[in-house]
Amino acid sequence: MERPGASRQSTRARARRIARRTGFWFSVAVIVSPAILVFLWMLSLSLKNEIDNLAYPPVFIPDPPTLKNYVQVFTENAMGLYFWNSVVVSGCATLIALAVGVPAGYGIARLQAHRFTVLILIARMTPALSYLIPLFTVFQFLGLNNTLTALVITHLVITVPIVVYVMAGYFETLPKELEEAALIDGGSAWTLFRYVALPLARPGIVVGTILAFIFSWNNFVFGAVLAGRATRTLPAAVYNVLTFEQLAWGPLAAAAIVVTLPVLLLTVVIQKEIVAGLTAGGVKA
Amino acid sequence: MPPGSNNPVALGRNSAAVAAPRPPSAFFARRRRNYRRFIIPAVVVVGAVIVFPWMFTVWMSAFDWKIGSVAHFVGFDNYVGLATNQRFLESIGHTFYFTLLAVVLPLVLGTIAALIFHREFPMRGVLRAVFTMPMMATPVAVALVWTMMFHPQQGVLNYLLSLVGLPPSLWVYSPTLVIPSLVMVEIWHWTPLVMLIVLGGLAALPIEPYESARLDGATEWQLFRYITLPLIAPFLVVAAVIRTIDAVKAFDTIYVISQGGPGTASETINLYLYLQAFAFYNVGNASAVVVVFFAIILALALLLLHVRQRTRWVAM
Amino acid sequence: MTDFDRDAANAKRRKLLQAGLGAAAIGAVPGATQIVRAQGGFDWKKFKGEKIEIFLVKSPRGDLLTKYHKEFEDLTGITVGSEMIPEQQQRQKAVIEFNSGSPSFDVIALSYHVQKRQFAKNNWLTDLRPMIGDKSLAAPDLDFGDFAQGGLNYAVESDGRVMSLPFNLDPWVVYYNKEIFDAKGVAFPKTFAEMIDAAAKLNDTSKGISGFVGRGLKNANVPVWSSFLLGYGGGFVDAKGRLTTDTPEAIEAGKMYQTLLGKYGPQGVAGFNWNEAQSLFLQGKAAMWLDGIGFAQPLEDPNKSRIVGKVGYGVMPAGPKRQVSALFGDGEGISTYSKKKGPAWFYLQWASNKANQTRMLQAAAGAPVRNSAYAAAQSSADFKAPKQWVECMLASAKIAQPGLPVIVPVTEFRDTFGVALTNMINGADPAGELKKATAEFQPVLDKSEKA
Repeated sequence: MERPGASRQSTRARARRIARRTGFWFSVAVIVSPAILVFLWMLSLSLKNEIDNLAYPPVFIPDPPTLKNYVQVFTENAMGLYFWNSVVVSGCATLIALAVGVPAGYGIARLQAHRFTVLILIARMTPALSYLIPLFTVFQFLGLNNTLTALVITHLVITVPIVVYVMAGYFETLPKELEEAALIDGGSAWTLFRYVALPLARPGIVVGTILAFIFSWNNFVFGAVLAGRATRTLPAAVYNVLTFEQLAWGPLAAAAIVVTLPVLLLTVVIQKEIVAGLTAGGVKA
Repeated sequence: MPPGSNNPVALGRNSAAVAAPRPPSAFFARRRRNYRRFIIPAVVVVGAVIVFPWMFTVWMSAFDWKIGSVAHFVGFDNYVGLATNQRFLESIGHTFYFTLLAVVLPLVLGTIAALIFHREFPMRGVLRAVFTMPMMATPVAVALVWTMMFHPQQGVLNYLLSLVGLPPSLWVYSPTLVIPSLVMVEIWHWTPLVMLIVLGGLAALPIEPYESARLDGATEWQLFRYITLPLIAPFLVVAAVIRTIDAVKAFDTIYVISQGGPGTASETINLYLYLQAFAFYNVGNASAVVVVFFAIILALALLLLHVRQRTRWVAM
Repeated sequence: MTDFDRDAANAKRRKLLQAGLGAAAIGAVPGATQIVRAQGGFDWKKFKGEKIEIFLVKSPRGDLLTKYHKEFEDLTGITVGSEMIPEQQQRQKAVIEFNSGSPSFDVIALSYHVQKRQFAKNNWLTDLRPMIGDKSLAAPDLDFGDFAQGGLNYAVESDGRVMSLPFNLDPWVVYYNKEIFDAKGVAFPKTFAEMIDAAAKLNDTSKGISGFVGRGLKNANVPVWSSFLLGYGGGFVDAKGRLTTDTPEAIEAGKMYQTLLGKYGPQGVAGFNWNEAQSLFLQGKAAMWLDGIGFAQPLEDPNKSRIVGKVGYGVMPAGPKRQVSALFGDGEGISTYSKKKGPAWFYLQWASNKANQTRMLQAAAGAPVRNSAYAAAQSSADFKAPKQWVECMLASAKIAQPGLPVIVPVTEFRDTFGVALTNMINGADPAGELKKATAEFQPVLDKSEKA
């Protein structure tokens, strides 16, 4: 509408727009910066040598940057072995969870057996420590203490619920027409599952696998209590690097990065799928 | 589905599914039996790894057993002891305080973040990926870095405070500030999860209500308050349930950064449980703590789910 | 060394009183006053090809042993696998492992002040007497008589069993910053009152200097308080098994703890363990630091310390009733479940041998338990520890007494009272906190003695 002073109006409107745009970008910066800054600080700590680490005010850009901390972490602490242990434990626990959980998710979805989902929810709600005591006693009895086997079994507590949960939610969203058509054509439940539902569920399986692997990898308590020297997982080993070195922040930060980098890389690479998996599973809850 | 309606939507069925001609019921029954077979392996695993420890814990809670000595049956004594144990009761208080902050704040911040990321802007994908990284990072590793950041003399947080002219804070070394400081770490860690859940809800929002409201001259705030908020309420509840369960159980962060200190200022139920079970080896008492702990979690979850029932919009 | 022996013997007698038993059984140790001579049959390579596992605590002592493991391997042909983890975790793991009946280690480093009673009661360690007496297994320089009385007190049980070989003693001393003291013209305190006074005078918040620094973190902080408690003439447990931790002496000690750490301590001291306190002191930001003498090494290391050459090593000042240095000690024992007791015994002998003891002294990693180490170290060209450190150590050893009660649930004791102490730093009333902690812990103590 043309009004007297329209040009003044439009300048004001444009100013408001610019203000809103800047406000928006400012909010974006405020929201995202804590996330990135902590990681950058972690990186900075790991690349600084000891003198810089003890300096106050803190030095942000290492001068000169050094890889000595990473070398120290790997040579003094057998991080390679612990890394491998984490891979084995989380990998096996995830594979078993998939073998057991994908069919279970399918069965639950088709049977609408939500009571089983409640059981899974209860499992999620229980503090991890409460599994440790009984499981530990049993492992002692079986002579499995300090073995990777014991750790894998314990980690199933983490991986199976996640896989079942995600897959149940996922299978429920799959349209049933295809299956019902195949049924009428004379297929058994197994063929339905194997040839119709499973291929369609691949995205869900990817999500479930990655989420289960990540949460198993990140677990600290089980490794800290149950593992022995040769079978410790990465998070538990990292915790041992702390305490009792005066302000050895460099190696500590380097160890922390080594522990969490694989998981972060996984996250970035399949970020979209994780988002879908978490929200699909979450909403269906 | 209008929000708040009590129309019992059939569980699990996609509302967009086309109704297929129903086969006779005997056929159905056979199908059900077959499906049961799919669940059995999972049931075995869950039974061994989850149900068995549970039963063991409940049984153990009736004994007084310290590792290294003989177990005596004491019935309900452990529970009675807990009810009068000041340190345990205080830990419940700390847990509630911590959980309240660690749920409400991420909910608010996560919703704001979701609103921001809902808009289209350049580099949105990259920035969102960065924003979700804290959620996936290994809690122990991150907690160690935060410990260094909290250091009163050498830590970078006090340095930042000094830059804006504020006096250095004790952070996790002060009994009053320790829980808010730990909550700060939790917020950093888990706000992305809330954001993702709410984002999913925002993505499913219909456009028409907004268009008609805008024509009627509604402001942004009114749009949010009267249209967006009710529609994403179910998602907020889901996020609240997940956050509550995780916050009540929070362990790694607190253990690494403050070990429940200073003194017992940040000792939550989970920390107390660890102390009883793995520092003092009071397995009987620890089992009783687990049962009580679980009862609390269950009560909280049921409460929230009840709230959720009343705002259900999406078919379960 | 007679003063040392006498006071240590007194300490032993007091311990026995607390344990409710009668005569000391030191004399029951075979060969205690003889030198075991090698007779045909002893061979370092006797167990060549075997492999043993050692479980150490991450500490200056653990570092020292690990550094020289290769020497042991070359000497005996026994392969050594070892692990060092932080103190609290090591103690927890030890209990779990022993309880499983098949621990993953053969040799374990134990802290006498925490684990001795627990290990003895549960019979987790092997009695070494048969092996000490067996000439074919005893190294030529075993020289059992070379062990100081204080170390033997720890290693020998009240019923005569020798459950471990002592490794080091750790009396507590007051490290002080000579530069800060000189700047204000304050002399090193000789009494508790002077100590508080000095802390007050030297505390300078404008410069960021704390008058005093010590452990404030619960569990770790109890030795600081017990150092004061002993000086006030107090104790932990009386002959009847009742706690004496809420007596006037204990409360005075609590008040002193509150003053020194709460009033003249650095910001955040409530969360400090020995390493945070050490870091602060290293940077010249504290006038006094009360802790074990074995943490001295980095203080004179130019790569780590800003106060090289300015460190004073002071003996614990005298309390109104006594002058006592709180004593702690470590040793090595063989797991009773070990199937490799022979090779493990060789390791024990090597770890506590004269060479290693001398090295420990030279590196200022702890106070050796062998009397001969002092002379040997001082005459060596490698001797790096300052003269004042050695003097301080010898003087402290003379007035040393156990800094923790000899009971089974020591960890719980440290936790319960540690919480009370941390609360005191933050302003709680010492009398109230100590009474509460005593009431909380008494049933635990009673139960542990009955079981």
